[in-house]
This record gives sequence, structure tokens and C-alpha cells, in this order.
Amino acid sequence: MKLIDKLYKDAPLATRNEITPKLGFLLTILLALAWLIPFLWMGVATLRPASDGINLMAELMPSLKPTLDNIKDAWEIGDFPRYFLNTTIICTGILLVQFVTITLAGFAFARLDFAGKTVIFYLFLMQLMLVPVLLIVPNLRLVAQLGLYDTLAGVMMPFFASAFGTFLMRQAFEAIPTELEDAALIDGASLIQRIRHIYIPLSIPSFSAFAIISVTSHWNDFLWPLMVINSPDKRPLTVGLSVFTATAEGTQAWGTIAAGTLMVIAPLLITFLIFQKRFISSFVTSGIK
Amino acid sequence: MLFSRRLMLGLAMAGSMAGALAVPALAGEGPTEIDLFFPVPVDGKLARDMGTLIKEFNETHPEVKATAVYTGSYDDTLIKTRASIKAGKPPAAVIMSANFLLDMQIENELTNLDSLIAADGSTKDKFLGQFFPALQGNAVIDRSVYGVPFHNSTPLLYINADKAKEAGLDPSKPPQTWAELTDWAKKLTKREGDKVTQWGIAIPCAYDYCGWMMETLTMTNGGRYYNEEFGGEVYYDTPSMLGALTWWNDLVSKHKVHPPGATPGPAVSTSFISGNAAMMMLSTGSLTYVRENAKFNYKVAFIPRNVRNAVPIGGASLIIPAGVEADKQKAAWTLIKWMTSPEKSAWWSRATGYFAPNMAAYKTPDMVEFLNKNPDAKTAVEQLDVAKPWFATYKTVPVRKNLEDEVMLVLNGKKQPKEALVAAQKAADETLKPYNAETSLKLP
Repeated sequence: MKLIDKLYKDAPLATRNEITPKLGFLLTILLALAWLIPFLWMGVATLRPASDGINLMAELMPSLKPTLDNIKDAWEIGDFPRYFLNTTIICTGILLVQFVTITLAGFAFARLDFAGKTVIFYLFLMQLMLVPVLLIVPNLRLVAQLGLYDTLAGVMMPFFASAFGTFLMRQAFEAIPTELEDAALIDGASLIQRIRHIYIPLSIPSFSAFAIISVTSHWNDFLWPLMVINSPDKRPLTVGLSVFTATAEGTQAWGTIAAGTLMVIAPLLITFLIFQKRFISSFVTSGIK
Repeated sequence: MLFSRRLMLGLAMAGSMAGALAVPALAGEGPTEIDLFFPVPVDGKLARDMGTLIKEFNETHPEVKATAVYTGSYDDTLIKTRASIKAGKPPAAVIMSANFLLDMQIENELTNLDSLIAADGSTKDKFLGQFFPALQGNAVIDRSVYGVPFHNSTPLLYINADKAKEAGLDPSKPPQTWAELTDWAKKLTKREGDKVTQWGIAIPCAYDYCGWMMETLTMTNGGRYYNEEFGGEVYYDTPSMLGALTWWNDLVSKHKVHPPGATPGPAVSTSFISGNAAMMMLSTGSLTYVRENAKFNYKVAFIPRNVRNAVPIGGASLIIPAGVEADKQKAAWTLIKWMTSPEKSAWWSRATGYFAPNMAAYKTPDMVEFLNKNPDAKTAVEQLDVAKPWFATYKTVPVRKNLEDEVMLVLNGKKQPKEALVAAQKAADETLKPYNAETSLKLP
């Protein structure tokens, strides 16, 4: 009830006695619940003892005798600390290089004039329409020729340039008034200084939005790392986890799968909860209007 | 200036990472390093078992250092193997789904093993003679050996014996014909009004499993599914396949004793274990799981027949991809022979539930004792007498999916069996066209 009162106080005067915003709020709560169910189930299934049998596996009611056996099992099957480290290296490595490439490319498309700019930009965007699976063989061949087969650098390589990121930065930079840049120009700032002191600080929300998208997608990428990596000690989390989720003929130990999945997504989930506000706001704001 | 420092830093970082993470190739001296790609078809704990197996191999063979590389499902393993061959980095050995061998041989992706067998002073017949005859069809192509059977399966009928007794049926006399099976399934289905509370039988249908089950039903109906002698023909639009699909569809829509829609394998085994389905058709590979999880008495039996008793084999063989250097080939061959020896074969069989392809495995003391304790493991081996090769064609996977997509439509009540099979045949003929253009239709 406190929550309702607080919402009531926060609502603009004009809408306090209207029904529509309240309905919207109710709908939001329902959606949030629907979104929460799989996470709740994962938590419940992780703590469920195997003795409960398969019949209770789909239950959302937690077991009365919770156990940590599943987590122990999952932890023993894979070398999880190492998988975490590898995934972290891959995601951060990709992101740092992407920041450099998308900033420069985004700036070029937003502010520089050169022949064939539009055509090149559309060609760039066409990358978004390619199914990644199509590129596996050519990419792998190139990675092997560069001597990066079975290395983490080989996993990162194809993602150093990002069509989506370039598009996002171009939109963000275009929204920045040129007067700001002109002022800096009068002060004698060089091109790089202008990017560094005007464009980048004003586009932080776009950068963080992109960072979130980039990290979550590469954190969850499975097929490409599976192709590049052979050595067990270079496996990222997804490949390590799939050892006990991808079974063809047998069966599925749901408790272990739930525990493993929980371990894989926990860092992302925690990060999301911490940065929730920033995450949401990064999608609604963009620089000065 | 800052930017250039950043960029240099980024590049330096990428470079140093590449340097730090790249493994220098060993030159000449020391053991031969080889990779073995393996899928985990049954249960994640097997990845650990595989690690144990390879560790033991390395300890007993100091001249070779093998690394087991887990590569996902059977289909993922094929993708990764093909990609690594094209990238010029083929692994020395792969555990490959037995029905992909022909497709790989057509694409020149396999090493012919005849010369390795000859170099050991053995002959092809002597070498293949170690394995069950039913397994040889998928390992031999054009009279040359391309694969060594490693772990194999056949489909089985699993029966919940307690529920059968409850329904007044005798589980010691399992159904032997489709007619008997239909009758059992009707008696084992429980309804409350229109709602079914217990299904009589469940048969899996998801990519990979569905094609295998269709082959099973077609074969027990006298059919052939594909041309065993030639990779360019499948027989989808035939009376035997039509009878098989119609019967399966009747269980779903006419008798309502089989859950509607296409059910994936794990869902089928889950509903059998939970008592939601009283019978199921599933691979031998699931036997260990059922044994460990069933809280009731169960029975395994041959797949019932309409015309004849027959089943396809399933499982995987060890192969050496094309383009592996001579010294690695030799090391891989040592590993393959060791893994398929009677003792190791038997050990792996007990760990997985697959049967051991090496006939001598069943003479080892551990295995004799195991079979006395678990007589249900014998059924799959006995059924080998009527087993035949798994379908293998040019582009096995797409040709298989041509049929599976249509079967799923039928089970979902969206198509009739006849029109589905006509469509499947047309699609498969189209997929097989390039191969036929190069072979059967290439006229002088």
C-alpha cells in the first residue's frame, strides 16, 4: 500500500484521479511477473533435491528441503572460474576495440563529407541483415590464416567493427548541435580534441546503451566460440555450459541445467540490477535536444 | 593525440592478447599433439568420463598427447568439423554421427582408412570382423573403410510394467505387432471426460530423432527409406512409408492414445519417467537414464512390426578428417584402435547405455557381470540381429529435414500423410539433384 501511496504522490496533479495511468501501472506489474517466472523457476529448480523426481520439476513451489547439490554438480562438471575469466576477456576486449571503431566511424558518417557517403553507409548497414552463420567458414579461414585459430583473440576478431554501433553513434552525434563544435573550432581545438571533449561526453548514454547490448550479445554467443576454440581451458561460459545442456539422445538433468544457467547469467543479472536506472535512461535520452 | 594513444593501446592490447593466448606449435620433438572432437549425446557427466578415458590413453601412450574437445550436438560437431577442415585446421579424429559419413565422403572430407589397416598387417575383413555386422553398412563406403564404430544404439520399446499390469496386460509378453501395440496403447490410455490423464504411447519427433523414428517405422513396415547402395535416392512417397506415417498419425488423431504434436526426445523420456506416458519408443542410449530414474518396474522390448522385424542403427563412429598430416594420422589411428578395443568399448557402454560395437566387449568379465545384473541391456544387443544401416545420403541433414518438416505438419494435424509424403519426396529430390546430375544422370 505504501507503494501505491508513493505512486499517487509522485503522479502529476492532473492525472491523480484518472484511471488510465493506474491501468497502465497494473499492466506493467503483470508483464513484470510474466518476465520473472522463468527466473523464479530457475532459482527453485536449482535448489530442488534430485529426490523430488521429475514430476515436481515444473513446480514453482520451492522444495521444503533445499539443497546445494545441483550447484556443486554444475560447478564440478566445468571449470567455471576459468570460463568466467575467458568470457570476461572476450566481452571486454571486443567492447574496448568497438568503442574506438564505432566512435570514429560514427563521427565520419555524421559529420564528414566524402564521396559516396550514403552508399557506403547503407552498405555498412547491410551487415545487419547477414545471418552470422553464413560468415562462419570465411571468418574461420581468415582467423586461421592470421594464426589466431584456437585463441581468444580469434573469437573477438570478427566483432571489432559493429554496424549497429556505428549506426547508433552516427545518430547520437548528429543530434549534437554543430554550434558546440564551431565554438571549439574557434578555440583552435583539433578534430580529435573535438571528438574527445564534445562528442564523446555528450553521447555517454548511447555508449552505455551500446555497451550493454554488445556485452550481453557476446556473453551469450555460442556457435562462433565453439568453432574457434578447441582447448578446454579457453572455453567461454556458453560452450562450457552446453556440455550438460545439449544432449541429443538422452535426457536432461534439469536441476543441473538450472544451476549452470544461473551461474552463467548471474553476473549479467547483478550488473543489470545495479545499473538499472542508467540502463533504462540510456534508451530514452540522447544528448541535448 | 589522445586518440592515437588510445588506438595504439587498443591495438597493442589486441596484439599482446593474441601473442599471450596463441599456443606455439611444438616442433618435431616430444609427443604428437592431436585433438579429438566429441559430442555429448547422452548426458553431461559423460564429458567427464571422456576426460577420464583420454587421460588414461595419454598415460599409457607417451608418444601421443590427445586433447578431447567437446563440440556440442551431433549436428554442431559436423558444422565445426567441416569449418575446421575448410580453415585448414582439421582435428586428427572426430566422433561423428554414423549417418554423416557418406555425405562427408562424397565431399572428400574423410581419410580412407584402408591403408592404415593394411599397415598394421591386418585385412579389411579381419578388422571389420570385430564389430557387429549391422554396424558395417555405415562404416564402409564403396568397399573402403571410412569409420570405426564407437558407440551405437537401436530404438527400443520401453514399457511401464506396473501400469501394464494395472491395465490387465502381461508385461512379460510385450506387444510384437503394430496391431498389438495399438491395442496396448488404447488400454493404457486413461481419460477423464475429454482430457487424457495418461497417454498410451509417446514417440519422439524433433530434428534428428524424427527421421530416425520414421526410418524405424518404415523398416518394420517392409520399407527401405533410402537406397543403401547409392547416395542420390530416398523413398518417401512409397506405400511402406505411407503406411508407417498413417499409423503414427492414427495413434494421435484417430485413437487419441499418443500426445498430439511433435514431441522432442527429452520430453518423451520425461513423460515416461513421470508416468504421464505408459510406453515410449526411444534409443538404447536412454537406458541408463531410465534405469537410474524410473520409480517403477519397466521393461524394454523390440520395436513391434507390421511386416517384418527391423530397426536402423544409431550412434557414432570414429573418423579421421581429410587433410590430417601423416604423423597425426598415425597418432589418431592409435587412439581410435585403443578407444574401440573390447575393454574400453565395454567401459564406455556401461557409462552411457549405448551398446559396445566390438563383439568381444561382451566377453569381458566386467561386462558379463554387468549384464547379469542388468538383463535389460541385452535387448538392444539381441535386436542387432534385425538391425540395418542408418540412412545416409548426399546432404543427409537437409534431406532428412525435408521429411521431418512434413511429418511434424502431419502430427500437428495440419496435413494428411499422403500429401505430406508427396511434398517431402519432391523437396528431397530437389535437394539430391546436384548429386544425381554428377552421377546417375550424367550420361555419355
